[in-house]
Amino acid sequence: MADAAAVERALEVLTDRLDERTAAFLNACVRCGLCADSCHVHLADGDPASTPVAKVERVAKLFRRYHTLLGRLAPGFVGAEDLTDDALQGMVTAAFGRCTVCGRCALTCSVGLDPSAVIRFGRTMLLAAGLVPKGILANRDAALETGNGMRLSREDVVETILWLEEDLRQTLGDPTVRLPVDEEGARVLYAINPREIKFFPLSISAAGAIFHAAGESWTLTSTDFDITNYGYFAADAEAAGAISRKVIERAEALGVEELVVAECGHGYRSLRWEAPEWLGRAPRVRITSFVEKMAEYLEAGRIRLDPAKNTRPVTLHDPCNLVRNGGVIEEQRVVLRSAATTFVEMTPNRAENYCCGGGGGLLAASEFTAKRIESGRIKADQIRATGAKVVTSPCHNCIDQLMELNRHYKLGVEVKTLGEVVADALIFAAPAA
Amino acid sequence: MTLPSLALLVGFAAALASFAVQRLRLGRRLAAPFAPPRASAAAGVRYAFTTAFLPWAKESARKHLASYLAGIVFHLAVFAALGWLALSLLPAAPPAAAAHALAAVLAAGLACGLGLLAKRRRNTTLRAVSTREDLAANLLVDAFLAAGIAAALRPTLLPVFQVAGAALLLYAPLGKLRHMLFLLTSRRYWGTYFGRRGVRPAPRPLAGPRG
Repeated sequence: MADAAAVERALEVLTDRLDERTAAFLNACVRCGLCADSCHVHLADGDPASTPVAKVERVAKLFRRYHTLLGRLAPGFVGAEDLTDDALQGMVTAAFGRCTVCGRCALTCSVGLDPSAVIRFGRTMLLAAGLVPKGILANRDAALETGNGMRLSREDVVETILWLEEDLRQTLGDPTVRLPVDEEGARVLYAINPREIKFFPLSISAAGAIFHAAGESWTLTSTDFDITNYGYFAADAEAAGAISRKVIERAEALGVEELVVAECGHGYRSLRWEAPEWLGRAPRVRITSFVEKMAEYLEAGRIRLDPAKNTRPVTLHDPCNLVRNGGVIEEQRVVLRSAATTFVEMTPNRAENYCCGGGGGLLAASEFTAKRIESGRIKADQIRATGAKVVTSPCHNCIDQLMELNRHYKLGVEVKTLGEVVADALIFAAPAA
Repeated sequence: MTLPSLALLVGFAAALASFAVQRLRLGRRLAAPFAPPRASAAAGVRYAFTTAFLPWAKESARKHLASYLAGIVFHLAVFAALGWLALSLLPAAPPAAAAHALAAVLAAGLACGLGLLAKRRRNTTLRAVSTREDLAANLLVDAFLAAGIAAALRPTLLPVFQVAGAALLLYAPLGKLRHMLFLLTSRRYWGTYFGRRGVRPAPRPLAGPRG
C-alpha cells in the first residue's frame, strides 16, 4: 500500500524526471498490439495484461493524464488515468511480475519504440513510491553497504580463491597456475559475480584455466569485485551508479588496461553501457565481456581447444542484456563451434532469443517465483526442441533460472557457463622438459 | 483564396506550431553518451528508417503479414492524400487519369483502415488496450480518405476534402495521430540505441579461429 506521500513522490518522477527518449516512446505508441507475441510472459500465460502494449499502457495512461492536453481535458476519451495507489499497485505486477525488461518487444515494435525503456521508467516511479520488491532492494543495499550483493567479507573471497588455486593446480597438474588477487600492474582485472564465490566457484577456476592457457597478465580483486547491480534492476540510477563506480574505480586504481566482466548479462550491460552515463564520464579502462575475451584468445591463437572433449550436443541461451542490449552476439558462437563437436542453435536465437524468464531482477523477487517459472516455459520448450544435452549461457543469472527450469520441466540437461565448456576443451602446451 | 483553403492553411500552421512546442517540451534532455560505441549509431538510424520497415525485418511483420500490409497500404494512402491536399492549394487540377488512380489508392487505404479498426474491435488483446480515441482517430482518418476519394472522382467536392484535411491537421497533435511526428523521433532513438550497441543492423557472423 502506497500512502499519499508515496503517490506524490511517484507523481513527481512522472512530471519532472521524464526524459525525452522515454517521452518520445510514450507519444509514439499506437497500441497496434503487434508486440504481443514477442513477449515470453504473454506467450506462456496468454493473458492480455502480459502483452508489452498492456504493460506500456500502465505508464502511458498516466503520461497522457499529466503530459497531454486531451488527457487533462477528456481523460476518459483518451484512456488517461489519475496516479493513485491502485495505479501503482497495478504497475508493480506489470513492471516486475510480468516483465523482465528483456527488450525483445523493442525489436518487433512496428513504430520503433522500446517498451522496456518505458517499463524501466515505471520502475523508477515505483522506486520513488517505495514499491520495488524487497528482495531486489536487499541486494542493492547489500552491495552499497558491503561492496557486494552477498555481503561476502574480504576473507571469504581470499580463502575461496586460495582454495580454488590449489585445486586448479592439482586438476591441471601444473604448479605454476595462479589465481592472482589484488595484483597491481596486471593487464586485466577479472571482476566476478559474488554467487561464483559462494555457489559456483568452478566458473572462477574455469576462467583461471583459460587466462593461464592464454598467458594473460591478470588479477582478481578481493574488494569491489561485484559486477551484479540490483540498483539497475530497481531503476535506481543513483545506487546503480554508486555500485558500478566501485568496480570501475577499483580497476582504475589497480592500473589495469582492461576490465573483463565475468559471465553476467546485466553486469556487462551495467558496466559497459550504462555506468558511463550514470557516472557522467568514460571509464579509463576498456570494459569487455569474458565472452569477447575468449573469442579474442581463440582468434589470436592464444588458446587452443579440442572439441572432442565436449561430445554431447550443446545449445546456447543468449542472455538478453549481453546480446540484445549489449551487442555481444557472434563471439560466443565462435567459441562454441571450437569447443564442442555439436553446437545446436535455439530457434529463434541471437538478438531475437527469448528471455529465460529470470531477468530483470526477478530471481530476487520471491513474490513472483511462480510467474517466473511459468514464463520460463517458452525457454524450456526452446531447449527441448534442440535435443541438446548441455545448455550453456554466459550469464550466472540465466544459469540460475535455467537450472530451475531444468528441474521443473524435467529437461534432463546439464547447465554450464560458457567458460566451463571452454575450460573442458582447453589444450595445454606440454610442460617444458 | 477560398475559405476551405484558408482553413487548410490554418490547420497546417496550427499542427506545425503544436508539434514544434511538443517536440521542444518533450522531456529532460539527454546528454551525449559517454560509453564508447561498439558500432555505428548512424548505421542504426539508417537501418531504423529503411531495412526495419521491410516485411522480413521484424518478427511482428513476419507473423502478422496481413496486418503489416494493411498498415503499409493505409499509411501510403494517408501520405498520398496529404500530398494531394498540399497540391490542392495550387490552381491547377490533376488530370482525370491521375485523379482516378489516386481515388483507387485512397480506396485501398480506406479499406485497410476499416479493416484495422475491425481487427481492433475483434481482437481480445487489442480491445483490452483500446481507448475511445483509437476509434475516433481511425474514423477521422477514414473520413479524410473518403473525402479524398469523393473529391478525386468529383472535383466540386474538393472543398469538403480540404475541410476534412484541416480537421485532421488540427486534431493530429492532440491524440494518437501525433505518432506521425513522434514515430520519427522514436525511430531515431531506437536506431541510435541498437546501432551504437551493434545489435541492428545485425552483425555478420564471425569467422572461426585461424588455423
